[in-house]
Amino acid sequence: MPILLFALLFFAPDDLPKGEDVLAKFVEVTGGRAAYEQVHGSIAKGTMTMSGQNLKGALTVYESAPAKQVTVVEFPGIGRMEEGTDGNIAWSNSALEGARLKLGDEKAMTLRAANSQAKFLDWKKLYKSVETTGIENVDGKPCYKVVLTPLTGKPDTEYYDKASGLLVRETATVMLPMGEVPVAMTIGGYRKEGDLLMPHTLQQSLAGQKIDISIESVALNPEFPPKRFEPPAEVKALLK
Amino acid sequence: MRLFALLPLALTIYGATLTPGRKQSNIDSFEYVWTTIRDKHWDKSLDGAEWKAIHDELQPKMEQAGSMEAARRVLNEMIGRLHLTHFGVMPGEVYSELHGGAEGMDVRMIDGRAILVRGKHRGWEVEGVHDTVAKVDKIYEHSTMRELMVSRAIAAWAGAHDVMLSDGHGQSAEPEPSEFASHGEPTTFGNLPTQYVWSEFRQIGNAGYFAFNMFLDPGRLIPALAEGVGECGKCTGFVIDLRGNPGGIGAMAMGMAGFFIQKQGELLGTMQTRDNALKFAINPRVPAFTGKLAVLVDGLSASTSEIFAGGLRDLKRARVFGSPTAGAALPSVIERLPNGDAFQYAIANYVSQGGAVLEGKGVKPDVEIKPIRASLLSGKDDVLESALQWIERPQ
Repeated sequence: MPILLFALLFFAPDDLPKGEDVLAKFVEVTGGRAAYEQVHGSIAKGTMTMSGQNLKGALTVYESAPAKQVTVVEFPGIGRMEEGTDGNIAWSNSALEGARLKLGDEKAMTLRAANSQAKFLDWKKLYKSVETTGIENVDGKPCYKVVLTPLTGKPDTEYYDKASGLLVRETATVMLPMGEVPVAMTIGGYRKEGDLLMPHTLQQSLAGQKIDISIESVALNPEFPPKRFEPPAEVKALLK
Repeated sequence: MRLFALLPLALTIYGATLTPGRKQSNIDSFEYVWTTIRDKHWDKSLDGAEWKAIHDELQPKMEQAGSMEAARRVLNEMIGRLHLTHFGVMPGEVYSELHGGAEGMDVRMIDGRAILVRGKHRGWEVEGVHDTVAKVDKIYEHSTMRELMVSRAIAAWAGAHDVMLSDGHGQSAEPEPSEFASHGEPTTFGNLPTQYVWSEFRQIGNAGYFAFNMFLDPGRLIPALAEGVGECGKCTGFVIDLRGNPGGIGAMAMGMAGFFIQKQGELLGTMQTRDNALKFAINPRVPAFTGKLAVLVDGLSASTSEIFAGGLRDLKRARVFGSPTAGAALPSVIERLPNGDAFQYAIANYVSQGGAVLEGKGVKPDVEIKPIRASLLSGKDDVLESALQWIERPQ
């Protein structure tokens, strides 16, 4: 038997773990289901850097389970850019672009991103299927390639380190008014926040731009002001 | 005596003959330009055999090039095979002459003379710039960017020389040093040096008028436009003055166009990068201005200014007044080559919503009005007046 064919058979899909088992392993190695269920919200602070443009801005991400999220970035020379969802509507707002409501697949993607805990604890709420399709190397390490097909929108592909069980890479298609933009993310800098092991660095490649996100602090289960997840006035004006 | 007479000729020959080091730096520059275009051009087919064949055909010519002039000819022949503007190699010393200087000076070539179009000495001629103009004019003779580059060269020259002005009627004046200094608010953006951004809003009769010098500092400019649109919500028309505006952040064209568009899903155009087609989608603002819209442009309106003016005209939302724009709409990069020359190349293509490629063609105004020196001297603005008359005219 040719060696190549033998090698292919060795990695036949039947020998791969189920996608949901790969997700369950991630939950286990990052703190366990009980630890996740203790977290109802967070505030992450850090920086977003576009090194090609020499732009660096302050980043804050507010999250509240089950599906509320607001992200604020302030870049010198550009101003405040924010986007979010209250679990029902998804929006973005900036001086540069103005206020707008996200619709269709773009809205669905924002809602999914805000509900990331459900992906790991109850994936069927968000995805039609979660399948391991192979093993590929990421930075020289073998990883399970898991394709997550959402209820609405295009599939995401995630790569989980075979040895550590950690999510290390993700590729997806972001739906924007400017069009469909492929994005690739390298995820790393895992360290403990409370009882959870969380990534603190994210390197995105999007439309030829490199974007580095670095999280410097995470506050778990903070008190949020009552209107924290309400859309800004400019967005509310669009709802009238 | 004879020896001295021959010396200049000998020096000229010596100066034109390349040292081995200089020759190698030209060969390195050739490889740099060829590889950069192969790897960064938006058309991935340049990875293929045709571009390689051009390399193999011209590389021996570069090895034989015995002067800087000859080396530049080979480089420009290779680049010329792309049949695109915004790609080119210019001598290092000319590149240096296009930067810095009196950045607050706003000058245009009118009837072969360098005439100031704004400020205290509006309509006056900048004297003594003939050689500078001629040098840049020769390089950009057939380019839509000619006016833009000549204007930059004059401003750069003015920063290094004592400037004298004349009104064409026998009067001369030496401008105050502050007259050509940058004004506006300092702003920083990424790799750019500090830029000074200004905007102006006023109501003229029943029309709003908004002018600004570049598409930067959205945190200040866009609220200023929003305020103007708000104050003038019931005006008959609105004028956006982009004359002299070299562009800036591309996304600001979409953000500013949103003040004049009500319908969702409208595009100014599409930018084709190596990996994606990015639609310049307009996000309508609430409330949007629905009256007549005039956009004023000239040969120094470039890049984002052209995307804004061309796109809104293609959508039949704006009427464009003035003179043709610079045809420099593509995002481009200028890098120094190993031989010291400057290499400019574009990293994306842009097609306006009406299907026109703006690069190398520019936006041709619906109403073409060239600046007239006599009007400038008398304080008139023919382009603005024409736009205001159109706004006042019943539909």
